Amino acid sequence: MAIAFCLDNFRLIYAGIATFMWIVSIILSAEYMQHYERKVRYYFFTALTYVGTIGVLLSADFYTLFIFFEIMSLASYAWVAFDERKESLRAAETYLAVSVIGGLVMLMGIFLLYDVMTDMEVMTDTLRFDRLRYLYDTLRLTGDEKAAREVWAAGICMLIGFGAKAGAFPIHIWLPKAHPVAPAPASALLSGMLTKTGILGILMLSRYVFTPVFSGYSYWPILIMIIGVITMALGAILALFSVNIKRTLACSSVSQIGFILTGIGISDIAMDDIALSGSLLHMVGHSVFKLILFSVAGVIFMNIHELDLNKIRGFGRRKPLLAAIFGMGALGIAGIPGFNGYVSKTLIHEGIVKLKQMLAFTESEGGQALLSFDMINAVEWIFLISGGCTLAYMLKIYMCVFIEKNVDSDLQESYDERKHYMSLPVAAALTISALIPPVLGLSAPKSMNGIVTLCADALKINISSEYVLHNYFTWECLKGGLTSVAIGIIIYVGIIRTGMMNDDKSEYKDYWPKWMDLENVIYRPIIQYAIPFVLTVVCRFLDKLIDGSVYKLRKTLFKDDKEQEELAEGNRLTYMLGVAAGKINRTRRKMLKARGKKVGPPVNYVHKYAMDYERYRESRTVIFRSMSFGLMLFCLGLVTVVAYILVTRWWH
Amino acid sequence: MNALTYLPVELNMDPLGAIFAVLTLIIFIGSGVFGIDYMKDTKHKKGYYIFYFLAFGSELMLCAASNMITFYLFYELLTLLSVPLVIHDRTKEAKMAALKYLFYSMFGAYGALFGIYNVAKYADTLRFIPGGSIPDQAWSSDGRILLITAMAFIVGFGVKAGMWPMHGWLPSAHPVAPSPASSVLSACIVKAGVLGIIRSLWYVMGTDHLKDTSVQSAFMILALITVLMGSALAYAEPVLKKRLAYSTISQLSYILFGLAVAISDRSAMEGAILHVYAHGFIKAALFLTAGAIIHHTGVTKVEDMRGIGLKMPFTMTCYTIVSLGLIGIPPTGGFASKWYLAIAALKSDIPVFGYLGPVILLISALLTAGYLLRLSVIAFFPGAEYRQAHPDIKKAEPGLLMTIPIATFALLSVLIGLFPDALIGLIRMIFV
Repeated sequence: MAIAFCLDNFRLIYAGIATFMWIVSIILSAEYMQHYERKVRYYFFTALTYVGTIGVLLSADFYTLFIFFEIMSLASYAWVAFDERKESLRAAETYLAVSVIGGLVMLMGIFLLYDVMTDMEVMTDTLRFDRLRYLYDTLRLTGDEKAAREVWAAGICMLIGFGAKAGAFPIHIWLPKAHPVAPAPASALLSGMLTKTGILGILMLSRYVFTPVFSGYSYWPILIMIIGVITMALGAILALFSVNIKRTLACSSVSQIGFILTGIGISDIAMDDIALSGSLLHMVGHSVFKLILFSVAGVIFMNIHELDLNKIRGFGRRKPLLAAIFGMGALGIAGIPGFNGYVSKTLIHEGIVKLKQMLAFTESEGGQALLSFDMINAVEWIFLISGGCTLAYMLKIYMCVFIEKNVDSDLQESYDERKHYMSLPVAAALTISALIPPVLGLSAPKSMNGIVTLCADALKINISSEYVLHNYFTWECLKGGLTSVAIGIIIYVGIIRTGMMNDDKSEYKDYWPKWMDLENVIYRPIIQYAIPFVLTVVCRFLDKLIDGSVYKLRKTLFKDDKEQEELAEGNRLTYMLGVAAGKINRTRRKMLKARGKKVGPPVNYVHKYAMDYERYRESRTVIFRSMSFGLMLFCLGLVTVVAYILVTRWWH
Repeated sequence: MNALTYLPVELNMDPLGAIFAVLTLIIFIGSGVFGIDYMKDTKHKKGYYIFYFLAFGSELMLCAASNMITFYLFYELLTLLSVPLVIHDRTKEAKMAALKYLFYSMFGAYGALFGIYNVAKYADTLRFIPGGSIPDQAWSSDGRILLITAMAFIVGFGVKAGMWPMHGWLPSAHPVAPSPASSVLSACIVKAGVLGIIRSLWYVMGTDHLKDTSVQSAFMILALITVLMGSALAYAEPVLKKRLAYSTISQLSYILFGLAVAISDRSAMEGAILHVYAHGFIKAALFLTAGAIIHHTGVTKVEDMRGIGLKMPFTMTCYTIVSLGLIGIPPTGGFASKWYLAIAALKSDIPVFGYLGPVILLISALLTAGYLLRLSVIAFFPGAEYRQAHPDIKKAEPGLLMTIPIATFALLSVLIGLFPDALIGLIRMIFV
């Protein structure tokens, strides 16, 4: 196997985005890291992660992708563990475990895929993406069930690996822990870029290995969609509960990844690429949003070293630039018309609506499909509500940081007096980043449709069909977006303002559901304690099998012979009995003593039994020699003879 | 006329022997250089050097042996000459471990000897001939006896390679030896068992008749049990050197699993021999690092080594690189060998084990990550509390005589992963 790269428009665009993000992140780091030690370590691993990420993005086959994926995963560990506080180290441990387990499971998938391909006698460029196109369906249609099952297993393994990095349910656990503890410039990259490499892997699986030949024939896109929907809803709900700005943003990432996955799944179910173009644009958009939002969180943190909403409340007042930067990101991610988030979400929504119409048509004709109309209807509502939640939690942060005043008025004054909260380069970099969402959003028919056209070849987007809209402000499109906005405002006013703050609105209450932490409830008990325990017990037994047997044999069968010593008194039986009785007696005395009872002086049982034995021997001699003993024996003989006679008589 | 009528001692370095001999040379020389500094202030230095070189010599001769008698001769010699390395410290623990090593190895060697007697009855010669020298009619008439013979070779030589159930000597003997000696024991001398199995099965008996037999399944089961057991016990072991010894047990059985698969599908040999090299370099570096830590700080337990990466950053970086290699993270040596092993197992179409094998290899890799990376993590990320308690940690790298061998092994382990093709080509040429 050799390493293979390719550079098509999609990869070029994404590598460009990655490079841009790294540049902004490094500019921010220069200021953010000023007061930290171990800067060399931070920059070294930032550079190494960049190498890994670019390698993943440019890879032309799964082998190359895996190699750089591992480099990226392990190098980014240093970010999470960077400040070495207890919770950082714990989060880093989780991150490392997820990375290593995910990587190894993915490797198993790659083994299986390679096996299938070489069985089909593809010997060169075996795992190249374009060679894998239609693989699964081709195998099924040609009736090679065994190979098809193997490809399915490979797909699941790789999905676990990529899903772990992307933050898809149920392996999203590391995101809400790792992002808050990493330095903010690194969180921006973790959230904006590293999760996308996982998505890239899932895209490659869905668009190449599992590309459906006929619609409604394969379970793969349905699986992706279900994972997407759960991730989307779960992330959104968790983000509502959080009162830590970076944790909210991390949960938001989980949710947005869910949007992207849903789009990928929907487009493959419907065999219509409109939702896929939405997912692609949302990927691009989300990278930018998270860069902006995490950077602003970083600016706040480097000024006041707090992330708790109640502490940072009011920090952004009278800081119009910061508010504007954050606002652009927030409006973008919430999908407000006029920003790029609106375009991408609308496209995914259009895909769902189209699929709904298709299924309605199939059902009215009495046809069979793997999914029913009602299910997709539910998906649409979950989609809209999650979109609403996005707006709600973004409003929550924005209101808290930039509009409301801090309860502590002295603190508020000190916040208001801070005018130099970021350096010029940082401000410039963030302003440029913040311009991207509105610019893209307003020129959508040109710029965003252009991105889709450019990426069409790499992602096999069918551009001959009516794949994108030319006007995003028709009533049809606005309907979905506005519904979502309305839901968002209702959630914000109805739940956050009333339910999650105390009565005088002075404090955001922490309702973060600790019991829902899958890591502490399920993964850690099983992986950290149960499995190692069972394994260790079994393996200890196996380990000690021969050693233990040899030991036991030496203690028993092959015990060194002790010299047979003459006993001073008694015989072996009395000696053994005496030793045993002595032991029992000692234990009894110990127990009595422990209970505080009085005990007499110890008895030498060996001697006692020996004396008893002597007495017994003496009396035996006397008895054997006596007359009466002789008579008794004589009588016994007589009785035996008589009995014998009687028995024989009766017998005949 | 029997193959045992004459007992010639013949030496001839064929390519397979050369592969093992080159590894022996590199490991012994590297560890020897490390030993100069490490053993400087210890007692009984003379004994150490004498037996170190004698073991070195006998292992080279073992690689060059060109018939089974010569191989057996140097195999026993290697055992006897490496016992003094284990006993070097003269503590009670060392003495008991050395005796255990001796008895287990003797048992294994007698198993192999039994095999040699049996083979001699059927083979014309005990000279190493690719494909073996047992005629087909012997296989058809006395097939069962020959299968038992093959099993005797596997279990017998398997003792040296730490295969379950006769692995018990390894975690006792390797940790008590001085570090350079444990390095050669673990990285190199145990590979004599691997070479023994290859020589006896491929060059004396011939593997065509072993395909799909109970012997192959038994070999595979033993190897897989060992892989899992070694890693799980290493994971539970607090003392670094013992942990590494258990790791050796596990990793050696990767190679043995490769050999078991190679009975069906020759391509598994590539992975197996690649792993001989990768594991050799990695384990040598790991034991030398452990030695450097013990020599400088005197701590032996992993949990006590918190913050060691701040004192010896270079050494611990090398440790981390080779650890990643042993786990099988690309682009290091362990990844390449694991790749070839797993692919060959999947392609061999052996029922059940073809799939189970790679899964167990990966589970073991996960455990490897658990037991090796733990040290890297606490070494480089000791936690804020530790940093507060130890505000002025000074760098105290070991001397160049120690760091250069460690760095060399780390570098070699990466190089073998980046450029495995030369070695793979050679192995393909040997086992067509």
